[in-house]
Amino acid sequence: MKVRVIGEGALATIEYLYELFSLLFTAFRNLHFLKISPVCTVFFRQLYFGGVETFGKIVVIGLLIGIVIITQIANLIGLGSAVLTGKILIWVVVRELGPLLAAIIIIARSVTAISAELGAMNVEGEIESIEIMGIDPARYLIMPRVFALTLSAIALTFYFEFAAILGGITVTSFFWGVPFEEYTKGMLSSLSITELFASLVKSLLFGLAIAAVSCSQGLKVSKSITRIPQAITKATIQSLFLVFIFDGIITFIIFV
Amino acid sequence: MMKFECATLKGLLECASFNILEGNLYVVVTETDFEKNLLLKVLTVLTRLDSGKVFIFDRDVSSISYSELNGIRKRMGVVLNNGGLVSNLKVWENLMLPLSYHASRNQESTTLSNKNLEDKMINILSRIGYSDDLSVLPGPLPTYKKRLIGLARAMLMEPDLMIYESVFAGLSPDVRDRVLEAVNVFHREKKGRASLFLDSRESFIDDVKAESVYMLKKGRFYERS
Repeated sequence: MKVRVIGEGALATIEYLYELFSLLFTAFRNLHFLKISPVCTVFFRQLYFGGVETFGKIVVIGLLIGIVIITQIANLIGLGSAVLTGKILIWVVVRELGPLLAAIIIIARSVTAISAELGAMNVEGEIESIEIMGIDPARYLIMPRVFALTLSAIALTFYFEFAAILGGITVTSFFWGVPFEEYTKGMLSSLSITELFASLVKSLLFGLAIAAVSCSQGLKVSKSITRIPQAITKATIQSLFLVFIFDGIITFIIFV
Repeated sequence: MMKFECATLKGLLECASFNILEGNLYVVVTETDFEKNLLLKVLTVLTRLDSGKVFIFDRDVSSISYSELNGIRKRMGVVLNNGGLVSNLKVWENLMLPLSYHASRNQESTTLSNKNLEDKMINILSRIGYSDDLSVLPGPLPTYKKRLIGLARAMLMEPDLMIYESVFAGLSPDVRDRVLEAVNVFHREKKGRASLFLDSRESFIDDVKAESVYMLKKGRFYERS
């Protein structure tokens, strides 16, 4: 009995992952429809909501995280080794926290918005009325959201990392009197292409996963408004889960 | 233009046959709203038949690709009872959505400039008597206004086949007369254009000068004499 339940669960997971991959595959196949004016408008609106409007928040969080990390490092190893301090900051922020925290902020902001919006459109019959007009919802609603969210994830990750490093520099240079050059030297020596590549790959995959999950859950809402909060909860939890799984896998592949 | 051949769908049709000819005006009255909604889904190919065939513009819609189907839908104008508007788009964006989507897809933007599109939109809105602000979101508007916007949106596409779902329901007499006039003029404007009025109430039948009136009863279409 237990084996059967586990088997069914595994099968459902595989089926769901296949559904997410299909959604992303369709989005990539429809990428050239971005040149259509209303599709382009949806793309830029999502980019504005997910990327531009979040800029201030992510910069503030990044600055604070940078200050917190540098303070903890200084407590741990002291102020004597500026090179090591810079190195640890880069490793923690660029390799791990940048992509992860940017993804969490996107989940809190855009996943909830997208799944609720698509869910409400489904309940109100708006997606059907879009289809009736001869407009493919996969092209008009899904594809621009997927790519705008992915681009937002990449951009926000780099904003965050830049702000965190800036926060670290500010504290060490202005308050603790560590020479700026020494600190920067430590950071630059540890900031290799591998770090940047890992950060880019993570933010790219996180963005795609988050977009696929939020669109898929939004589209699954049946004809009842009570299903919308359930879809939002599912989308949030599943996005978080996928982000942590991808984080573990990519870290293992690149750095082990 | 549209033909049902022994169309069967559980709960709605039982080997039903029905034919819409070019240039004619039809009325189909169903017994319930549920039947009307389901029939509309069959007509717009949102629901497939259990058996039988539906031909739209001489194409069997059960055996065509999704993009071909969208090409067919582009030639159909559907006015939904609730307007069928997209809630996160402003009224003017809703009006322009299908036109600008299909125009830029087919790279017709050179022939239909923004100014032309705007003039066309304003002309149609004045014909149906809609003079409200176009820069608002449609959410708070009353249903009949949403329907008028949906009507203008469908007209803008200049379709070959118009389908009206309970288009006169809940309209005040003056709005109803204006819509009726606009719909009749629009029907005659393009050679070969067919119109189909779908409703579950018969009260409007005498106002619409239809060539044929059909009643959908027990899964079949019966022509009313």
